Amino acid sequence: MKKRILLQAVKQIICIGMVIVVLLPILLTLFASFKTKADMVNTSPLLLPPLSRITFENFEDVLTDKYLLVGFKNTAIILAVSIFFNVMFGTITAFIIERFEFRFKKVIVALFFAGMLIPTFVTEIARFKIINGLGLYNSLGAPILIYVASDLMQLYIYRQFISTLPVSLDESALLDGCDYFGLFARIIFPLLAPATATVVIIKAINIINDMYIPYLYMPKNSLRTLTTFLMNYANAQQGSWQTLAAGIMIIMLPTILIYIFFQRYILAGVAAGAVKE
Amino acid sequence: MNSLAKKRRRFILVSLIIPVFLLVAFVVFPAFDLIRMSFTNWDGYSPESDFIGLGNYISMFQNADLWQSLKNNAVYFVVHLCMIPIELAFAVLLVSKLRAAKFYKSMVFMPYIINGVAIAYAFSYFFSPINGAFDAILDLLHLGMLSQNWLSDPKIVNFVLAFVSLWRFSGYHVILFMAALQSLPQDVQEAARVDGANSWQMFKYIQIPAIMLMVDFILFDNIRGALQVFDIPFVITGGGPGYASSTFTLYTIKTAFTFSNFGLASTMAVAIMAMIVIIYVVQNKIIHGIVLKGGDK
Repeated sequence: MKKRILLQAVKQIICIGMVIVVLLPILLTLFASFKTKADMVNTSPLLLPPLSRITFENFEDVLTDKYLLVGFKNTAIILAVSIFFNVMFGTITAFIIERFEFRFKKVIVALFFAGMLIPTFVTEIARFKIINGLGLYNSLGAPILIYVASDLMQLYIYRQFISTLPVSLDESALLDGCDYFGLFARIIFPLLAPATATVVIIKAINIINDMYIPYLYMPKNSLRTLTTFLMNYANAQQGSWQTLAAGIMIIMLPTILIYIFFQRYILAGVAAGAVKE
Repeated sequence: MNSLAKKRRRFILVSLIIPVFLLVAFVVFPAFDLIRMSFTNWDGYSPESDFIGLGNYISMFQNADLWQSLKNNAVYFVVHLCMIPIELAFAVLLVSKLRAAKFYKSMVFMPYIINGVAIAYAFSYFFSPINGAFDAILDLLHLGMLSQNWLSDPKIVNFVLAFVSLWRFSGYHVILFMAALQSLPQDVQEAARVDGANSWQMFKYIQIPAIMLMVDFILFDNIRGALQVFDIPFVITGGGPGYASSTFTLYTIKTAFTFSNFGLASTMAVAIMAMIVIIYVVQNKIIHGIVLKGGDK
């Protein structure tokens, strides 16, 4: 009995250590965001300033920056459009690959698999020319098109989920006079809702956090996303850590909130996306 | 019957045409185009470019900065590799009888979903040389003499950045290991326990074989991830000082979009693709075989 208590205590200490490592950089940034310029020097970076000197000016500075709202709006548009098409194409592609045999099926499956092996960032060297050629440089179309075309993780989540649905479902629907589109739209798609929840949430986090595609394709000020807003903001704050810290906290917030509320779906999807063979 | 087959074919065709077209146009075609461009001296904007044969490949192999960058990738790889046993230990810990296990599980994965750019700046602040938090922690522990220029000393900058990478990505592996451990049927574990297996034996003979597939995946993920490290050095140091913290991908991107040498950059991109494919094949054929066989015993 004593041994068991000791073991539990050791486990708790290790876990608390982990929590400290995870929270420390975030917490210290939060502390800095409440400090005045003078307190950045006068108080230890490990402590909050005295209560009377806590300031919200840094947050005010970020929140009144007109480009924050622009970034928020652009991120929301990109999210809504890409996720809509992603879910549509993802579900139907997974459904067909799981349920039908047809010519060139092997080729198509191989193409999707090859897509996963193609490295992410360096592909932009060739893609840049295509996006440019389509006249999409400096437009919201660039990230939307790329997100819709290239993120293939959802296919595995959907395929795994569809394989658990009984085939007899398809057969009876077809016998009842449903055509294939009806079968998909009225029967399969609604059943995929749990998988769709996972896909939407993971996708949203990836898109909100993505830095390089908006940075590369949309340098225009009016096309900032939340993440590129922070990059621009950081460049303008040279050395003023307290205001940058407030910016960091604000940009971190959306995905942290999503995580707090939808953790269950995220953790399920992450594991499903990895074990794909 | 014939009309049904026709309808079926139409359904498949209509549904797949757009997703497959998008995949080919924006993912597969660019990959092939990189190969073609790697034999040219295209600058990114001229309408024309010359075919220069293996010129880019020769200059790539002679590029000392690129080799330096690849060495930096190796730092990330080794640091993450050393972490795998610890990640596994955490997974075992978190699936064991533990109070507040749910809370710890959310904590361990949280860094993975936080905005990477925001956290990169947070760590720039954490390691900053003036009033930096990390130096303050060292002072608190009376280790002040260990203070360094964490982000500007070429000798240590890569390790500091690799630490940031660990902070961000380790939780992902812990969650994957946990999923593998939890997929283990309870009755097998019960039976082993009834037969008198102790924790270590349980781990060695029951848990390890169950997670071998996951180890395999995580190894590949680690190699692929280490080869493609980009945003952490891009935001925190920009690859500097000089090329001290550059990585292969960062250098490639710079070659294209900063120095307008798309031909040479394509060559480097082809090299990354080749490395990933080769590693994938080698791992599938060799390591995969060994690991799984080892697990069967």
